Amino acid sequence: MVTPLQKIKKKRAEAINRIISKGYLSSKRVYVGMATCEIAAGSKEVMQVFQEAVNGGLTDVYLSQKGCAGRCNLEPTVEVVEEGKIPVKYGKINPERAKEIIEKHIKKGQVIRDWVIK
Amino acid sequence: MKKEYVITLCDGPTCMRNRSKELKSIIQEELQRHNLLDTVRIMLSGCLGMCSKGPILIINPGYIIYGEVSLKDIPEIIQQHILKNKPVARLIIEEDHLYNRFFRIFGDVKFFGKQMRIALRNCGIIDPEKVDDYLSVRGYEALAKVLTDKTPPQVIAEIKKSGLRGRGGAGFPTGLKWELTAKEKSDEKFVICNADEGDPGAFMDRSTIEGDPHTVIEGMCIGGYAIGAYKGIIYIRAEYSLAINRIEKAVAGAYENGFLGQNILGSNFSFDIEIRLGAGAFVCGEETALIHSIEGSRGMPRPRPPYPSVEGLFGKPTLINNVETWANIPVIVLDGADWFSSIGTEKSKGTKVFALAGKISNTGLVEVPMGTTLREIIYDIGEGIPNGKKFKAVQTGGPSGGCLSEEYLDTPIDYESLAKAGSIMGSGGMIVIDEDSCMVNMAKFFLEFTQNESCGKCTPCREGTKRMLEILTRISTGKGVAEDLDKLQRLGMMIKKSSLCGLGQSAPNPVLSTLKNFRDEYEEHVFKKHCRAHVCKQLFNYAISDKCIGCGACKKVCPTEAISGELKQQYLIKQNKCIQCGNCFKACKFQAINKV
Repeated sequence: MVTPLQKIKKKRAEAINRIISKGYLSSKRVYVGMATCEIAAGSKEVMQVFQEAVNGGLTDVYLSQKGCAGRCNLEPTVEVVEEGKIPVKYGKINPERAKEIIEKHIKKGQVIRDWVIK
Repeated sequence: MKKEYVITLCDGPTCMRNRSKELKSIIQEELQRHNLLDTVRIMLSGCLGMCSKGPILIINPGYIIYGEVSLKDIPEIIQQHILKNKPVARLIIEEDHLYNRFFRIFGDVKFFGKQMRIALRNCGIIDPEKVDDYLSVRGYEALAKVLTDKTPPQVIAEIKKSGLRGRGGAGFPTGLKWELTAKEKSDEKFVICNADEGDPGAFMDRSTIEGDPHTVIEGMCIGGYAIGAYKGIIYIRAEYSLAINRIEKAVAGAYENGFLGQNILGSNFSFDIEIRLGAGAFVCGEETALIHSIEGSRGMPRPRPPYPSVEGLFGKPTLINNVETWANIPVIVLDGADWFSSIGTEKSKGTKVFALAGKISNTGLVEVPMGTTLREIIYDIGEGIPNGKKFKAVQTGGPSGGCLSEEYLDTPIDYESLAKAGSIMGSGGMIVIDEDSCMVNMAKFFLEFTQNESCGKCTPCREGTKRMLEILTRISTGKGVAEDLDKLQRLGMMIKKSSLCGLGQSAPNPVLSTLKNFRDEYEEHVFKKHCRAHVCKQLFNYAISDKCIGCGACKKVCPTEAISGELKQQYLIKQNKCIQCGNCFKACKFQAINKV
């Protein structure tokens, strides 16, 4: 008989495969905070910028929403995670800044230090 | 460009005993020798929960954990790992605690590095609307584990052993609550998640549900299995629209994947969850009122005993825990009660989430091990008071809690210590107050809230809070008399002792604690008719100083013609005509008008 534990392990493997098939192994992963507080600070518009960029042909990027990490006064927050590098955490991102992150960080690999949460 | 690294040193109490500070200075010297100071950042974290293997050193990227690091290992680590990118295999330890995932992303931020995320372990790192994301971080494995090889009594024993206590505020031992409910014989039992978060300024439960809704569902399933219940209810307030949306999606997703419903994961255990919306009454956070509200009656408390564990929802044994408590359950099951109980103090185990707000540089969600001091939260994590203002008080526990003055800053956070200091743990609101706030006004604000939210069932709470508020209003408008302070004290004690439920029993706390810790401010209000923070309108005056250049802007905006003067000369306010509207204060561009 298959135990619940065996079942869940299989389910997890399937889930991870599904996540990977959606591009998780792209060279950069972008997370945009989308909790009530983040949305109130304007994260929906920020998400839209990233979404449009992905729809418009930005490749090798895995875009996801996330809950609130709890850094309230620096919201909206965006993380750019790259394997083998320290994850970059940006604070107070608006649509203009999001565009700049796409141009500089995502396309050219230049971290915009001034907006990084330390 | 050279690759960047962050070296995190555990600065928890155990590792510190193992001299993490000394390690830090050795690392610094070594980095300097190799001219690496600009590419490697060193930071001290709070307890990382790996105390038995301390001192702990973590190198990011990669989240490589080194354990039992001694001073002589440092040169090797720097030379091999940092310079050659070859981690030192003999020192690496494999520890996979659930909460570590958060630190892989956020560990190098000072604000997060000092924290320990157990209940909030997935908040901010997974997509809350995707079951797959939760599954990928070992989601529902705890449920599968108990269904596979643990009997209900074993689950309860594990929770008891962990020392977890209710995170809703009162701190009742969770395992004991489970045991009492499990013991009752009944054809039907219920499990309830109390997500009726009502304290002004608190948002821990909302964030948990919005960031990681499945953990609550998983916790409730485990609770249901342990006590023999088939039905769970999440009671959440209607104004949390996004949280409701996410928990609804999560419940639907859990049904789809067989984590809820009949024969969960092929076992004999079946469990259903239903979501009920509360209309947003503060009293409905009280368990018996909450039960009445779910039953369709008015949300009013009733005397206990019988406790809900004996006679709860529809008269059946019911297990109620709040969101944060449920979120801790999967961690205890997977990482073990022994690990969990190694965190915290003797009587308070694990971590507590606080919503840090008010006059503080870094506002946000803070989860710290029990035993962390208020000073560490306010100054290390919150980074102190902004604009160079002075700290005055910290208010914990929302409208049921108290205000603690500077002398209590070194109080360790646990249920007993906070109670001893005159406040409560509460559900986790933490409001920092600076010198610009008036403590009488603060007490009045909270009492206004509880007085409004009093359901009116019992007289002490209904009438008593009203009378207390009247006295406070009198004091803050300059009509206070000498007896008022004693009367407040007496009334407060009486309401505490004779009220029916937690709301009334704790409503006087903000007043009583400020009376105790800031009595001089009350006396100033009553005897000198003066408010030192310049908040209570009737208790301070506006005056024009010699900075005045005589522009006349203030005179133009004064509605009562209390300001007189000649252009280009210093103007004057006639105090008997002034109504303290503050228009002139706002209109003056030269900071010539002062509150005195």
